[in-house]
Amino acid sequence: MTLPRLTSSRQPIRLLQDRMATGLITAGGIGVLLAILAIGVFLVWETLPLLAIGDTLALAKLSPLAWGTLKAALAALLFAIPVAMGAAIYSALFMSARLRSRIKPALEMMEAIPGVVVGFIAGLILAPWVERHLASALVLIIWLPLSAALAGLLWQRAKTRLRRHLPLSWAGLWLVPWLAVMVALALWLAPWMEQQWFDGDLRQLLDQRYGMDYATRNALIVGLAMGFAVIPSIYSLAEDALADVPASLIEGAQAMGASRWQALWKVALVAAGPGIFSAIMIGAGRAVGETMIVLMASGNTALFSASPFEGMRSMAAAIAIELPEASPGGQTYHLLILAALVLFIFTFLVNTLAEVVRQRLRRRFRQMGGTL
Amino acid sequence: MTSASHTVSRRRRFSRVNDVWPWLCAASVALSLLMLGALLTLLLVRGLGHFWPATLEEVTLDSGETFAGQAVREVALPQRAGDERLYFTGNQDIEGVRWRWVAIDDIAESAQPDDLIRLDRSPWGDFIGRLVAIEQHDQRWEGDAAWQRLNALLVLPASQRQDSQLLLTTVDGQTLRQPLASVASAQAPNAMSVWQKTLAWGDAVWRFLSEGPRAANTDGGVWPAIFGTVLMVILMSVMVTPFGVLAAIYLNEIAHQGRLTRLVRIGVRNLAGVPSIVYGVFGLGVFVYGIGGSLDEWFFSDTLPSPTFGTGGLLWASLTLALLTLPVVIVATEEGLARIPEAQREGAVALGATRLEMLTRIVLPMAAPAMLTGVILAVARAAGEVAPLMLVGVAKLAPQMPIDGEFPYLHLERKFMHLGYHLFDTAFHGEDVQAAIPLVYATALLLVLIVLVLNLTAIFLRHYLRRQRGNEC
Amino acid sequence: MLASLHSANTSQAPVAHFSSEHSCLSIDHFSLAYAGKEALCELTLSVPRHRVTAFIGPSGCGKSTLLRAINRLHDLNESVTHSGQITLEGQDIHDPQMNVTELRRRVGMVFQTPNPFPMSIYENVAFGLRLQQRMPKRKRDDIIEWALTSAALWDEVKDRLHRSAWQLSGGQQQRLVIARTLAIQPDVLLLDEPASALDPISTLKIEELIRNLKSELTLILVTHNMQQAARVSDYTAFLHQGELVEYGPTDQVFTNPRLQRTENYITGRIT
Ligand SMILES: Nc1ncnc2c1ncn2[C@@H]1O[C@H](COP(=O)(O)OP(=O)(O)O)[C@@H](O)[C@H]1O
Ligand SMILES: [Mg+2]
Repeated sequence: MTLPRLTSSRQPIRLLQDRMATGLITAGGIGVLLAILAIGVFLVWETLPLLAIGDTLALAKLSPLAWGTLKAALAALLFAIPVAMGAAIYSALFMSARLRSRIKPALEMMEAIPGVVVGFIAGLILAPWVERHLASALVLIIWLPLSAALAGLLWQRAKTRLRRHLPLSWAGLWLVPWLAVMVALALWLAPWMEQQWFDGDLRQLLDQRYGMDYATRNALIVGLAMGFAVIPSIYSLAEDALADVPASLIEGAQAMGASRWQALWKVALVAAGPGIFSAIMIGAGRAVGETMIVLMASGNTALFSASPFEGMRSMAAAIAIELPEASPGGQTYHLLILAALVLFIFTFLVNTLAEVVRQRLRRRFRQMGGTL
Repeated sequence: MTSASHTVSRRRRFSRVNDVWPWLCAASVALSLLMLGALLTLLLVRGLGHFWPATLEEVTLDSGETFAGQAVREVALPQRAGDERLYFTGNQDIEGVRWRWVAIDDIAESAQPDDLIRLDRSPWGDFIGRLVAIEQHDQRWEGDAAWQRLNALLVLPASQRQDSQLLLTTVDGQTLRQPLASVASAQAPNAMSVWQKTLAWGDAVWRFLSEGPRAANTDGGVWPAIFGTVLMVILMSVMVTPFGVLAAIYLNEIAHQGRLTRLVRIGVRNLAGVPSIVYGVFGLGVFVYGIGGSLDEWFFSDTLPSPTFGTGGLLWASLTLALLTLPVVIVATEEGLARIPEAQREGAVALGATRLEMLTRIVLPMAAPAMLTGVILAVARAAGEVAPLMLVGVAKLAPQMPIDGEFPYLHLERKFMHLGYHLFDTAFHGEDVQAAIPLVYATALLLVLIVLVLNLTAIFLRHYLRRQRGNEC
Repeated sequence: MLASLHSANTSQAPVAHFSSEHSCLSIDHFSLAYAGKEALCELTLSVPRHRVTAFIGPSGCGKSTLLRAINRLHDLNESVTHSGQITLEGQDIHDPQMNVTELRRRVGMVFQTPNPFPMSIYENVAFGLRLQQRMPKRKRDDIIEWALTSAALWDEVKDRLHRSAWQLSGGQQQRLVIARTLAIQPDVLLLDEPASALDPISTLKIEELIRNLKSELTLILVTHNMQQAARVSDYTAFLHQGELVEYGPTDQVFTNPRLQRTENYITGRIT
């Protein structure tokens, strides 16, 4: 069979098209990247007028906000870090693979729940409840870890058959009803305990004996709500870091006779340390910038108070409330933009640090995985 | 010997204490699941339960006073003096209030008579009481006939029942004339069967989704907020998709893969962690005051000083959210591009394809699911984001929809309603928060469902993608 | 056809020279480096038209690098530098006048692992055609049938032309890739270990295909398999560490290598 030769008449058009498209993509790509860069430039530009005003006023206005931001973030991290780290350690090192493939996406779903929804539950449902049942809430915080430990002790004494049915590798799931029962028990007993130890009303006691005010929406509520929002991001990254620790490392430690937990504690946590650090950094970045939860659960009073039972006002919340009302070009406007700049720089630095640490760690593990 | 056994037992005990740690870790997982489950259950139960026709009670107090209402919740009285119960009594036009707290010990008798009805009226909200008669011109129906006539008339649009009047009485005997035109629906929940209640429930859910808010957001539905959210998100995707993909292609396929590109890549990745409120500030300063202000000066100077584009609106909101979600799309697309085997690109190039042809015919189609994943994740993030919108254009009650029959049909400068902001505003700035809370629950549930469904879609898409990739290699 | 072997300096330049009318492709003092690391060093050889020339040599000696250089695939990699000349039918392929896409159409390339596109069998073969020229569907169908027939695949796939190409077996995929290259009527076909990932039967099919294609075009075959080179090639070049060690008619290189290094490799003492 003889074929007609292909002509190359379209060649010039194709090359032209190619050259034009490359130019277009380059221009567009650089344009988009510059637009992103523009955020930083804009923020800096808009805060320049503040240089003329002097820094005392800026300091006076911003320091309670900075304090509030730190307090809220700290409260959230105090709750989130232990829970997220515990969950990460458990699911990376103890959980059965089948359960893990289901639980991990479920916990990561938590991250998707919008801040307004969490804020609404915290500000309108949780806060009044805690106000009425402060003693129960505090008892719960102590009671939950104790009941988990109790479950562990009971399990060690249990018959092997029971142990086989309820293995540690599935405990993340079957402890849920156990904890639910324990919560119910604590709530049932708490009023009685309050009666016995705190003369029936803990809040009154706090007020009278220690002079502590109690605000409905306070740092405790913010910590719980924002902690809930931050747990998934810390969990997800820390879990990745722990799961990436080469198995040979952990097995090596076990072969040397350490109990499994000691092996993990000493080896895995140390090896994954930088990854865990970056997970916490990213969680901190999220906690500092989260707006709606603080706005809805903190009471928004710009106070300098360290009490967990008093409210605060964070920078992000202040921006959301005050900036729409501030006249453009005015002093408040520039101050709030300064607050935004501070948030921007802080989160950007923290994230960059976390990213660099994480990449370095991953490279190290890859080398280790290769040589071992 | 003794000292040896001593250390052994000490070590035992030590290891036992050590063995508690894994359980604490497991409990962390359980606690997270418990909290997530509790949150979702709470939203589901309260969000959906609100639409279930509630039983109405006729309560007689020890003092002889009677009222009718729906029991809402019970709270312990201070000083352990028993419990008190909150009733929703409606009838704001007659009583002046809609809520009533009653100590349970004060209740002498409580009954659930079948003839209690509940009307949903447009001014004044709910009426709870009895139907005496219905009058149309000079005709008059009473008793059961009145109830049937009422239901028949309610099917008609409001304009066609201008001429009818209801004669109502509260349980303590006050009477009221109610024009039928202002009644939206009527129920006698105590007389309804479970099946009827289910139908009524479905109807109420539908009305919640399809109607606008009434009575200062404490009643009615969220349709404008759904519409505003969806429209804003669509506009945002239209803007973010091409630019995000363009930037990703540039970074991955065209840019020189050097140090600078790596830095830019880390920078883009980190922008995903910058708080959304910062993007809102940028949107307000640059889009609204900067660009919008200039547009007003050039094209809309006749309406100044009242701003057209120089104030928050649909366009600026979607643009701000597009910028906010740009990193999400860029990162996902880049991941997709990086996963395409080099052999595919070389195969195309070796057949004489130019770079453009290789990109459009091989690379982009293969990366399409990854891009889609990125866009869905971006949409999920944008749908739940409220803080930046508070700065660039959301409204608690937009008088006009952003799309209507008036030229140019799509009004980019208008303010719009948004589910998340609607939730925030109703819950925190409403006049009667107590009355609004059930609707807030329902709105929150709707928002969470939308966001979760979007995220699940993205997860499945990504999963499917990985599996497919696995097969091919 | 073999005009003269440079017998004068056999020890240094093992070059087979063909008169220009028989030479299709000639490589002249060509060197190439990846990020400064030299992979090809001063190669000089010419490849005869309508013959099968095999490049053999231990792994990492630069065979693939050379093939990719002929197709200018290294243009995609910024770190590659090169010097010297490669001429195709008397035209320098690095000449700025040279159109790269046209060069790649004229020099087809088949890779070690089959890389069909994620589309139907038909679309795979039509891919190159669609780029080159708009043509009526009937004509395109004819060309596709011809290409698949030439690649000895038509009978196996004619009933499922519109199914995904990824459902084919490895050997079929490789023949599909050959067919897709043949469809745009190249003058030279470069095959980089086309059978290394395939089973023995598929390998035999590919070898037979190579022998049949000789009448239509010039083939360059990179192979790891000594027997394969002996079975299908007319000329064999032996590369080692980026240098051309020996080049001549296949039976001569295999039965009577002039250099010890070649013999060591052929007998399996260098791998
Ligand atoms: N993309 C690349 N970047 C850097 N070095 C490469 C690359 N490809 C090949 N090389 C190096 O070039 C030399 C020749 O490789 P190659 O041509 O693939 O050998 P082979 O003869 O096995 O096909 C090897 O040392 C290899 O490490
Ligand atoms: Mg090779």
